[in-house]
Amino acid sequence: MTQVTQQVSKVFIKAPIRDVWNALTKEGEPLPFFFGSVMQTTGLKPGAQLRMRTPNGKFTGVVGEILECSPPYRFSHTFRFTSFDDPPCIVTYVLKEVDGGVEFTLISDRVPVGTKTEKNMAQGGTFITDVLKSLAETGRPSFGKRMLLRIISVMGPFSPARCRSEHWPLDRAV
Amino acid sequence: MDAVFLALGSQSRRKMLDVIQNMPGCSVADVAKYFDCSRIMILKHLNVLTAADLVISRKVGRKRELFFNAVPIQMIHDRWTTDYSRFWASKALDLKYMLESRQQKSDA
Repeated sequence: MTQVTQQVSKVFIKAPIRDVWNALTKEGEPLPFFFGSVMQTTGLKPGAQLRMRTPNGKFTGVVGEILECSPPYRFSHTFRFTSFDDPPCIVTYVLKEVDGGVEFTLISDRVPVGTKTEKNMAQGGTFITDVLKSLAETGRPSFGKRMLLRIISVMGPFSPARCRSEHWPLDRAV
Repeated sequence: MDAVFLALGSQSRRKMLDVIQNMPGCSVADVAKYFDCSRIMILKHLNVLTAADLVISRKVGRKRELFFNAVPIQMIHDRWTTDYSRFWASKALDLKYMLESRQQKSDA
């Protein structure tokens, strides 16, 4: 069996918990904290399928299944990069109301050790937490992150063929 | 940010972060193995790291699990670098790492 590990990112966000939750679970619109991907689901409920696609819908970077959705406190889903052959991990977002804002925690669980998925999850976790914070607090990502997002958006055409969305329809469970 | 710099301003605490980063979910006892000081001292250091959000401590049953949190360090980085300086600073560091690892190999 593959050895697995866990990664945690936590940040305080100065915004109402509803705003953080809405930013996190928004569908059909590019999510800056998720590298400009658009989230598509078959419903925000356990058992529903989830896809992270490029804004033009041509490529799908991440596929998963929703495990838990308890607005506005907890959102959890399986998570697999379509570009790697690694087993799926579990991503859980935990929102806790604290004085003046929200304590936001991103937990990635069952991350396979020594894989590309592990490396991407470690960098991704910090990026997501960071951008979600500036998005909820100021309404947009910081300047540096906006530049990075612009770079990522032009990288779309270089995605491998296996990431093409026709291989990852919503009506087929992953 | 004061809490982060205070936490990072100690060699023992920086070493503690290395240990926790390499062993996500480790216990206080796991960390203590790497240090030659009392459990109370270890807990004191851990409290400083937790207060700065550099360490996340989670209770699972009777066990306490410790995780390294990279976000405060990312925030320091975001504050003092621009896309331009980041690119060149990273190139300069890559050169340093490459040359120094070569040097180490030839010394060995």
